[in-house]
Amino acid sequence: MALKRFNILIAGVGGQGLLTLGELIGNAAIESGVDVTVAEVHGLSQRGGSVVVHVRLGPGSSPVIPKGAADLIIGLEAIETARYIDYASRESLVVMDSFIWPPPLSKHPSLKQIVGELSGRVKLFVIDASRIAREELKAAVAANVVLLGYSLALSKEFRNYVDLEAAVKAVRRVFRGKAVEVNEKALIRGYSEGGSLGVK
Amino acid sequence: MLERGSVALLLGNEAIARAAIEAGVGFAAAYPGTPSTEVVESLAEVAKEIGMHVEWSTNEKVSFEAAYAASIAGVRALVAMKHVGLNVASDILMSSAYTGVNSGLLVVSADDPSQHSSQNEQDNRWYGLLSHLPVVEPWCPRNAYRLTKVSYEISEKYRLPVILRTTTRLSHTRQPIVYEADVPREVRTRGSFKKDVERYVLVPAHSRKLKEALMKKWEEIREDLGVEPFISIENPGLRRAIVASGISYAHVDEALNLMNMRNDFTVVRVSMPVPLPVKPMKELLSYAKSILVVEELDPVVELQLSKIVVEESASVELYGKDYVPANYELSLEIVYKSIKAFLGEEPSAPWSGVEPVKLEPQVPPRPPTLCPGCPHRNTFYVAKVAANKAGVRDLIYTGDIGCYTLGYLPPFRVQDTSLEMGGSIGVAHGLSLVVEDTVIAVIGDSTFYHAGLPPSINVVYNGGRALILVLDNLCTAMTGHQPHPGTGLTATGEKAERMFIEDFLKSMGFKTYVIDPMNVGESIGEFVKAYREHLSGKHVAVVSRMKCALEVLRAARARGIALPKYAITDACTGCMACVNLLGCPAIVVEEGSRKPRILEEACAGCGLCAYVCPYDAIVVSREGGAGWRELWH
Ligand SMILES: Cc1ncc(C[n+]2csc(CCOP(=O)(O)OP(=O)(O)O)c2C)c(N)n1
Repeated sequence: MALKRFNILIAGVGGQGLLTLGELIGNAAIESGVDVTVAEVHGLSQRGGSVVVHVRLGPGSSPVIPKGAADLIIGLEAIETARYIDYASRESLVVMDSFIWPPPLSKHPSLKQIVGELSGRVKLFVIDASRIAREELKAAVAANVVLLGYSLALSKEFRNYVDLEAAVKAVRRVFRGKAVEVNEKALIRGYSEGGSLGVK
Repeated sequence: MLERGSVALLLGNEAIARAAIEAGVGFAAAYPGTPSTEVVESLAEVAKEIGMHVEWSTNEKVSFEAAYAASIAGVRALVAMKHVGLNVASDILMSSAYTGVNSGLLVVSADDPSQHSSQNEQDNRWYGLLSHLPVVEPWCPRNAYRLTKVSYEISEKYRLPVILRTTTRLSHTRQPIVYEADVPREVRTRGSFKKDVERYVLVPAHSRKLKEALMKKWEEIREDLGVEPFISIENPGLRRAIVASGISYAHVDEALNLMNMRNDFTVVRVSMPVPLPVKPMKELLSYAKSILVVEELDPVVELQLSKIVVEESASVELYGKDYVPANYELSLEIVYKSIKAFLGEEPSAPWSGVEPVKLEPQVPPRPPTLCPGCPHRNTFYVAKVAANKAGVRDLIYTGDIGCYTLGYLPPFRVQDTSLEMGGSIGVAHGLSLVVEDTVIAVIGDSTFYHAGLPPSINVVYNGGRALILVLDNLCTAMTGHQPHPGTGLTATGEKAERMFIEDFLKSMGFKTYVIDPMNVGESIGEFVKAYREHLSGKHVAVVSRMKCALEVLRAARARGIALPKYAITDACTGCMACVNLLGCPAIVVEEGSRKPRILEEACAGCGLCAYVCPYDAIVVSREGGAGWRELWH
């Protein structure tokens, strides 16, 4: 049987750059000669709705990840990460931005509550990607790419499909002009943050 | 544009567009609609380079007629629409089958199983059976690329329009695609119309004959097209078989691999569900004793196959919707369980997700909301305050389809119905003739051009009492900000004659008020006048004009103009008026805080919250740059 598919679920809020992150991983796959499907699951075009992107690396064409089959969840926002956590199994790696953006007029759990709940269920890694992007890189929108670098550093299995070099090439394919530089920095910054944890 | 041999990560819709270009399409028309929009949007981007005509038509019927005309005049054409768009275009769809076409005509119908962004879940493969036109259904974006080209070939071979049915999942999934051909150096964009009244004038004497000819083609297609790439059979000769149509094949493929049962089934991949080719099915029935049909939504293949079973007196157990759900989109997980059930096993899946989180407060739903700065928020606020001031108590808001449909939610609740495009005005008219309440039709600008004109005329003609409110945000926002006749721009960015909604309404006999809801106080005053005039018995309409905030943000970024930012000062008493009256995502109340805060990065600077604050506690924290106000108009 062919190589198993590596499943990445990206969760967040519309406007956070989820679709771009999906495109990046997809292009990194092309750079690595790996087949891929990237399914964008969003409702209407307004900002602020819940969005998920299913990236499946490896041969096959069925685009949506079954619940429990995500190898990696990249959460761009805490509430959305909690919402889709049943896509993870106990072995899954979950990489989450510490950013929390509650829906208007809502009662919601706190970041601390969410981190507590999730860490009992999955291998959870939390990073201040939004803060790093805003303060260090002066580009709030680049949090998604910081998370990508961080995830690559933390998951050897992910790197079996696409490595940092392929991701850098993908940044150059997807972005134009000044954005290339900022996002390359974001990628490396996230990668070194993950590398510094010494996880394999 | 990229040349032959390049690899690109394309959405299903983009793959269709690229293939159409390679096939030499010279004319494309559409009215936007999720999930079909990107097909014609990506053609519009390269139209000038290729020299083809691409347009956003005012509605699907018009777009179909335009593409049909190009095709009978010898120009390869494409028309794309969401599933419900084909309802609007169904009249010309039926007639186009009778006359047939000359150059290839591809009708892309994008269905929306699970209703991710639609008002219903119809299966448009039925339209093939209704119109006697072939339906081609790809199973992945790469296959859509290939089948688009093949569809042009069969369209020209049988001289019929071909319906290419995609679904949201297929349209919105990306896959690496290797370009098989270059962009043709010359594209045929001019043709000629050869008169033939017996073919093009559908009076009964002509169309009876044409119907007979159409049915002959239909039978030919059923007989001839049971071949690759429309049908393919893997592992023929087994007792157990799975017949999978469209994207269902991708799920079946992976499920059988995971079960290690690839060689235990004959698998029939169907890419032409309508009309279901007969020969391969007869062949299948000669050996298969137990068949599962896997298809999304309705049993279109299953019903056709069961007829062949009867005709062949085949002794076979045929299953389909017994095990495969008829509602919602299918997935690997669902199909895996369906196959298990078909095998008589426990319908369980091999994956187990961790427990969903159980927290108090719970994880709140995050339905789409009006964006920060959305002009609809201003208009809804104005309309409600004005109704109060004018003493209008019993109000029914008939709604329509667009971003503003979200107005059904608190805090506004200004959409009591929302059915289909243009429905707001027709329904308001009927209600206004039978109920005592004041009835106000709330409709978007693009929707007004699409289907709002005939019912508006009808209100005046037949003495209806409906008040019409048109929300003019200067684009078709919900589907991604396409231009329309009120913007003065075409799909390809050319200048167009700009038409104003108020001019139409005035010419029909509506006393029409035009407001700028960014000027909240003034607009309330005007709207009160409008209500009073309405109560006095006149036909009244209000056009509320303020640009979509996302367009304003984009323009501000592009031109380097700063928009103002607002902040909440210590004068705030925590009364929560701004939070409760407006539901703006940029205003948040953080844990443990009794007062709201404005998220600076989310604030679009519309200033509505500053207007509603009873304590003047919301102030400009950063002035807008020169020219910021003009961006909103
Ligand atoms: C027949 C039909 N065609 C297309 C659509 C897709 N669609 C939903 S809303 C909408 C237009 C909304 O534009 P507008 O009326 O300007 O309102 P806005 O979203 O800008 O507020 C479209 C095209 C549909 N639902 N039905």
